[in-house]
Amino acid sequence: MSNIYKNRKYIILFLLPAFIFLTVYLYYPFFLNIFSSFRSIRTLGTYGKKWNEPWNENYVKLITDPVVRTSLVNTLYMMIATILGQVGIALVLALLVDNISKGTQFFRTVYFFPIVISATALGLLFNLIFLYDKGMLNQFLEFMGKRDLTDWKNESHALATMMLPVVWQYVGFYFVILETGLNNISEELYESAAIDGATRLQRVMYISIPMLRNVICTCLTLGVTGALKVFDLPWTMFPKGMPLKQTFLTGTYMYYQTMEAKNVDYGSTLAILIVVLGVILSRVTRRIFKESEDL
Amino acid sequence: MKMKKFAALILGITMTAVLAGCGVQGAAPAAPAAPAEEPAEETAEETSEPAGGVEITVTTTFAGEDTNAQNYKDSVAAWEAKTGNKVSDTSATSDETFKTRVITDFEVGSEPDVLFFFNGADANDFVNAGKVVSIDDIRAEFPEYASNMNDDLIAASPADGVKYAVPVNGYWEAMFVNTKVLDEAGVAMPGADYTWDQFIADCDKIKAAGYTPIAAALGNIPHYWWEFCIFNQQTPENHLDIPQSATDATGAQWVAGLNDIKDLYEKGFFPDNTLSATDDETFAMFTDDKAAFLLDGSWKVGGIVGACQSDPDDPSTLDADKVAHFDVTYFPSKGNRKTTDLVGGLSMGYYITTKAWEDPDRKAAAVSFVEHMTSDEVVPLFAQHTASALKNAPKVDESKFNPLQVKAMDMMSGVTSLTGAVQDLFNGDCRVSTFDGMPDIVEGNVDAADAVQEGIDVYKETIE
Amino acid sequence: MKRNKAGLAALYVILGLWAATTIYPLFWVIENSFKVKDKILKQSFALPIGDMFTLANYRRAFDRLSIGRAYTNSICISSCVTVGVMLLAGLAAFALVRFDFKLKKLCYTMVIAAMMFPVFSTIIPVYTMETTWHITNTSSWALNMLSVILPQIAGNISFAIIVLMGFVQSLPLELEEAAHLEGASIPQIYARIVVPLGKPSFVTVAIFSFLWSYNDLFTQMFFLRRPEMQAITRLLNELSSKEGTNYGLMASAVTLVIIPVVVVYIFLQKYIIKGMTAGAIKG
Repeated sequence: MSNIYKNRKYIILFLLPAFIFLTVYLYYPFFLNIFSSFRSIRTLGTYGKKWNEPWNENYVKLITDPVVRTSLVNTLYMMIATILGQVGIALVLALLVDNISKGTQFFRTVYFFPIVISATALGLLFNLIFLYDKGMLNQFLEFMGKRDLTDWKNESHALATMMLPVVWQYVGFYFVILETGLNNISEELYESAAIDGATRLQRVMYISIPMLRNVICTCLTLGVTGALKVFDLPWTMFPKGMPLKQTFLTGTYMYYQTMEAKNVDYGSTLAILIVVLGVILSRVTRRIFKESEDL
Repeated sequence: MKMKKFAALILGITMTAVLAGCGVQGAAPAAPAAPAEEPAEETAEETSEPAGGVEITVTTTFAGEDTNAQNYKDSVAAWEAKTGNKVSDTSATSDETFKTRVITDFEVGSEPDVLFFFNGADANDFVNAGKVVSIDDIRAEFPEYASNMNDDLIAASPADGVKYAVPVNGYWEAMFVNTKVLDEAGVAMPGADYTWDQFIADCDKIKAAGYTPIAAALGNIPHYWWEFCIFNQQTPENHLDIPQSATDATGAQWVAGLNDIKDLYEKGFFPDNTLSATDDETFAMFTDDKAAFLLDGSWKVGGIVGACQSDPDDPSTLDADKVAHFDVTYFPSKGNRKTTDLVGGLSMGYYITTKAWEDPDRKAAAVSFVEHMTSDEVVPLFAQHTASALKNAPKVDESKFNPLQVKAMDMMSGVTSLTGAVQDLFNGDCRVSTFDGMPDIVEGNVDAADAVQEGIDVYKETIE
Repeated sequence: MKRNKAGLAALYVILGLWAATTIYPLFWVIENSFKVKDKILKQSFALPIGDMFTLANYRRAFDRLSIGRAYTNSICISSCVTVGVMLLAGLAAFALVRFDFKLKKLCYTMVIAAMMFPVFSTIIPVYTMETTWHITNTSSWALNMLSVILPQIAGNISFAIIVLMGFVQSLPLELEEAAHLEGASIPQIYARIVVPLGKPSFVTVAIFSFLWSYNDLFTQMFFLRRPEMQAITRLLNELSSKEGTNYGLMASAVTLVIIPVVVVYIFLQKYIIKGMTAGAIKG
């Protein structure tokens, strides 16, 4: 740590505005949310009339509820898919785009498209692709000579059918972040490496990736925490954990309990679970992919 | 529940109401015809002509794709022109966000002056908090308020048995039929004496002919089957009872009803992917001549007719041949419920909030607004082929209706009773175990009795 | 630099294949916005030509909302959110990376945790709070806009801080030390070294802050009720009824909604240029 950054005054000056916002708009409401998790609330927007009995009812339920278990397992799969699929593909694409001279603008623009289309529309598109009767995929398989229709949303296929679109949609997001990181790397480093006779691949392995470490770590943190929160596309394609509550994720289950099942206090408890897991997992991620800083 | 009496009484009125609509169903662009001839400007019974220049906030669900969104806009404009008042309209499509918004508004004191909302258990919170004014209190000052309505048809709040909301348009639930599929399977169009056994036999034939008998997404919208299969174990008199346990008389009826659905599922009468399909998908099977029966509400008349038009917004593009093979009939009966006993009623209405009532200016304006929106001229526009609570609904010109609406009116003219949906009283998280749990019940993972008991336990906790 | 032609071609093929998967959905949405609703379920992958072509969905969308005003509101909200997020998050990220202090770990954890709070569990207290401040549910346009802008700034700050921290960590400390030796104060170092060097990163954060604020239908639905205050995403809420979803209208609404975001993105991403760091070092 450089000795120029010592002045306490600036720490407060720089951090305070952001933390005031966080406190007023996020922490204060979230403390009320913790309060809610001990109340008995049937209508969102109220604080209920009484306390839960026993007081820790929701927390006991959290441990015993089999759907929580399903959604945690699904979320774990989603995290793996996020790390390997989203960040992995995004990294490959970003490195490739970094190595071409013509068309970078084009690829940067089109890779961004999936993130801007609303989940409702993407959900419909993927529903039509995976549609049981005359969906794009089943028609294609029929054309290839397959006789019977495959229900892509049944118990054995549902998870994969749900994750594929989510992974695909957010590749562009990590792509943009990683691209920016690559652009921050000094061109001179590559030039001097080239003079030393390094091949293209060597330059990627020994310059790009190490220099990107902080940014990759940021992406992984965002990916792991994002998997806990992901909600809209899975919910549009598989509302209420269809089929047989097999496709719930922590994010969709929290939404379901709060908005659909009207078990608002339990929804609050699930929100706390999401936050706690998010903090723990982001720490673990940082520990594994340790950054230069000791955060 | 007052709804029992309501069920019997609504009949006579329904018949008039059924013939009362003069709007063109599902036809927003065609609607300009309706406002043009809207006679509301000269409503005779306006008692409270406010000074004008008052702005009231109104929240309704007549927005977006609601069939009445255009009617609502036109009626509001007519009222504004007539009184010189202004409406600050904060309507939105009815969904969970909307309900939450309304409840929160009442909690923080930013509720609208006039609210069009559900009159069932959804309104309990603000009714209990005394945030809305009862019809009787309003009549104490404005004796003509809702005087054109048949009071017996106005539903009381389940919270305190007092009437708050003045209803406009009602609904019914019945079974739509794809007659083309029936013909190809050699099955006759069901009539007013259709029984469960006949229904099962017909489904067998339809299945044997290679079609799906019932278009329903049990994993998505099991609501209608839930309601009718339970109703089938009961009569209109006791349908709105809520069981105390899964083993009492009503509880046993609920369990038997759910097991009937399981039976249909095991027989393979639902689509192969009924547990993983969305309601849109199974509805498309029905309109694509792949499935024979569709149990749904009166709002689906517009959906089916829309599917028969090359431009869903333009009634002139209606494919007459296609719409001809859709019909609507009663739900097959089993036991004491008559085939012609249907589920339906008036589940929403206009509330005036205490906040508006305590403001002298807005009080008169709010009353005038609700009187206008519930007048003999405006209500039929909204009610169309459904039901209303009007005492004297004007005659309608049947030629303005599309073929399916005419069939719907025919069916409604044979209805022997309309009973409210018990699921509206047993709402929120009570019904999670039997609605969202339906796939587990029909798959046999969960026993129907256990699921019913679980719901009852939650219900008891709610009313404590 | 010599290039292997075959290798380069393979590279373009891979990039092109992925591009195909991202272009097609957008094309699909636009194509279906010119079809009537029932055709979308049955022939969603066919081109809208001849009888199938219609402008009815757009007419309907324009009917629903005064599009011009809705765009103005949306862009106003999202621009303010973007500026607010950049100002606050930039300073905070800089301080969290460069300064060393006792509560640093706690602050970082607070940022991560705040990112996890689901909007469904925070929106109601926020709404209650803003009602008591009388900034929401008023007839004042500016206050109503502010009532959405503030929670959205808070909602995007965490993400922005985390991304910016990653970038600041990658900046070479030597430049800042050199500036310090020349007598620059810390705010000057931030404004003259960190911000210009981090420009691409700030632009990236700006893009996503804008996008998420713009697409946040739930918050907007909750705070903006009056017709003259509604944002463009409101269209997306107006598609379904008990009759079913109007998919044609949905496709046209999505098309109308995404135009500004794509424009903003194309405009902003030009600033993510290669070699900024190198140039600064030379200069």
